[in-house]
Amino acid sequence: MSRIACFSVPMFPLAARLRCEPELLQEAVAVVEGNGNSAHVVAATRRARSKGIRPGHSLAQARSIVPKLIARGRDNEAERTAQEALLEIAETFSPRVEDAGEGVVFVDIAGLERHWGEAAAEASGLGPRASGESDAGGGHEVLLGRAAMRRCEAIGLPVRVGIAASKLAARVAAELAKSPTVVAAGNEAGFLAPLPLTRLSPELGAATTLHRWGITSIGDLAGLPESEVASRLGELGRELHYAARGIDPRPLIPRPLPPDFREGMELEWPLVALEPFLFIANAALDRLSKRLETVGFSCTRLELTLTLEPDGFHVRAIELPAPTRDVKTMLTLLRLDLEKTPPGAPVTGFSLVAHPDRPRRAQLSLFGPAALSPERLATTIARLISILGDGRVGMAMPVDGHLPERYAIADYAPPPPPTTRPRPKKSRGLLAVRVFRPPVPVEVNTHVIDGETQIAAIHGEGDHAGEARVSSGPWRIEEGWWAEKRNDREYWDAELTRGGIYRLYRDRVSGEWFLDARYD
Amino acid sequence: MTATAPRLDWQFQLLDLRPSRPQPILVPAPPPVEPGQSAAVSRLRAALDPAVAARLLNGSELIRALQKSRREEVIPTTLEPLDALLAGGLLRGKVVEVVSRRSTGRFAVAMSALAAATSTGEAAALIDLGDHFDPQLGEAAGIDLRRLLWIRPKTLKEAVMSTEMITATGFQLVVLDVGLHPIRGRRVPGAAWVRLARTAESHGAAMLISSPYPLTGTASEAVVKSGGMRVKWLGQGRAPRLLAGVKTSFVLEKHRHIKPGTAASLELAER
Repeated sequence: MSRIACFSVPMFPLAARLRCEPELLQEAVAVVEGNGNSAHVVAATRRARSKGIRPGHSLAQARSIVPKLIARGRDNEAERTAQEALLEIAETFSPRVEDAGEGVVFVDIAGLERHWGEAAAEASGLGPRASGESDAGGGHEVLLGRAAMRRCEAIGLPVRVGIAASKLAARVAAELAKSPTVVAAGNEAGFLAPLPLTRLSPELGAATTLHRWGITSIGDLAGLPESEVASRLGELGRELHYAARGIDPRPLIPRPLPPDFREGMELEWPLVALEPFLFIANAALDRLSKRLETVGFSCTRLELTLTLEPDGFHVRAIELPAPTRDVKTMLTLLRLDLEKTPPGAPVTGFSLVAHPDRPRRAQLSLFGPAALSPERLATTIARLISILGDGRVGMAMPVDGHLPERYAIADYAPPPPPTTRPRPKKSRGLLAVRVFRPPVPVEVNTHVIDGETQIAAIHGEGDHAGEARVSSGPWRIEEGWWAEKRNDREYWDAELTRGGIYRLYRDRVSGEWFLDARYD
Repeated sequence: MTATAPRLDWQFQLLDLRPSRPQPILVPAPPPVEPGQSAAVSRLRAALDPAVAARLLNGSELIRALQKSRREEVIPTTLEPLDALLAGGLLRGKVVEVVSRRSTGRFAVAMSALAAATSTGEAAALIDLGDHFDPQLGEAAGIDLRRLLWIRPKTLKEAVMSTEMITATGFQLVVLDVGLHPIRGRRVPGAAWVRLARTAESHGAAMLISSPYPLTGTASEAVVKSGGMRVKWLGQGRAPRLLAGVKTSFVLEKHRHIKPGTAASLELAER
């Protein structure tokens, strides 16, 4: 038996706009479509409606009713991302989800009773069951509907839920004021009968004819003979009659899973400064993060597309060092990237695309050394890289070669800790070496004792200067003799009379001296 | 948000002498619950031999006991004289500062602590302000480079900020080496070190700060300062010389639980 849930967002253009600008929720706001004299109200907030503004009013009419009305144009980017967010919530209930557009989503919930445990538990503390349940499974469906409403509210979308055996009945149920509404299986015609005919959205011609006949409710139409209606109103009338009897043969067409997550906005005015843009981007990233959390993903790559004035786009991609959902980290990376390469023109809109990836997981140990939380580690590393820059955080790697200052840095991915704690190895008591990167240029005095060249004094800055007490050397290193830029060095160790043991070398190609390291 | 104000006659209920008003009944206190003792565990303990029952722990008790024992553990530097000076090594949840300006083995102490921690499977971090770490020599000193996070900040402020973030992430040993004199970047306020000490304490991390002059003030648990050093050279007279190592000494300048002034001498070899 088919069971379909319909999630419907009333006044979707307004809801999508308020999701991006929640501070306008208590204001008199109208979303308008069209430009100039053709601009008309599509939806309005409760405060505006209470003062008499209705959909279809021209902007001038609306302003004559409420002079301080805040008018916003329809934002296609905001509506698209709100629709995606709605679909993602629907996918937390069932993998079979149909995108019907304009804030409407159908979900196939047949045979998923066992999966509703979590939703039922989530909604169980919300009070008595709705009166709409009438069959054995209705209680679970009401709980499912309430869970859906809560989840949608968490992402800033007020949703109404209707559950029935067909898409048509589910949609009509979702448009009712009481939510969630559950229509018992086989009772679609009975549910629709008392409702006004306008709920079926008939075409204007057919609606006028039916009105002339005195047909006002869906039940009145369903009571007429099908063939008589078809002979007078044609194929359209037959379809309407079918709908009035609760017959909807249209199957649910599931949508494929999206490869990425997108949030964005069209701006009312062009932005030229970074801070206002980051303020808006922060809110978009926050929404993105919540959506990723809903489906259990993290972001591994962030793409930013800026719409520029007067025309053109600026696209950039930010590779995150590790999958993360941390808004602060992503915002910092975004800021650094924009500071490094500004778009060069005022910004009139933007969209952020997050490429999802599974967050890192690990089994923590009870008796071994404490393991790091992979999620927290990834976030910290991403934040550190955003602050310090590339190549300054990671795992040190030994490199083949002879030059002492050589090093490499790789992504930090520690192996899991051992299950038991071994004893630490005894130290070899080695004198460590502080490498100078880059080597410090100095002047060196040498003298020859018994035919051997020895260091007499080092003339450098700060502590790197003084008479040499003892020195030893030279040790010769030659690397890359076949290349144009070869390294040919003579190394010495020298102890200064004022303290400090240095390793220094003379570049045999240029004849210059450098401090390479200090023993410590 | 609006809140309904209570009626005035309920606010002055104690002054109301009318006997007809129903008096509120105080809810009796719930029976005392023994923490971590479910009825099943209590029954099991009662049925067992007392010696065995004393060693029986439920899950939450075990986790608490493990956390407590972890916090009381130390991370040894595995340099025996220095460990003896610090009563075993670097205390978890505390800050230990090593101060020295000359080639007295300050960096060697940091390398030894990192080698000890990573060889037992602990995650460790080195915040290397002077960018002095040599991976080749670190590996030769026994550091498991796979478990070491190497951070190379450019200023002291960045270094302190990185140290705090890394400590809060759960690293068990965090070493902040501020490099040689003069320290890169401007000084940070004293409160920053107190904040670092609190972060280390709340996350149970051992923190070692290696600096050319004292930085942490009252925030550190212990301060060890180098006393003096003697360089050992092989070869005398006309024979070629070879650096063999240094003999150095450290003095306990400050410790919250040990009388300061104790010295330890240390020999470090050049490979």
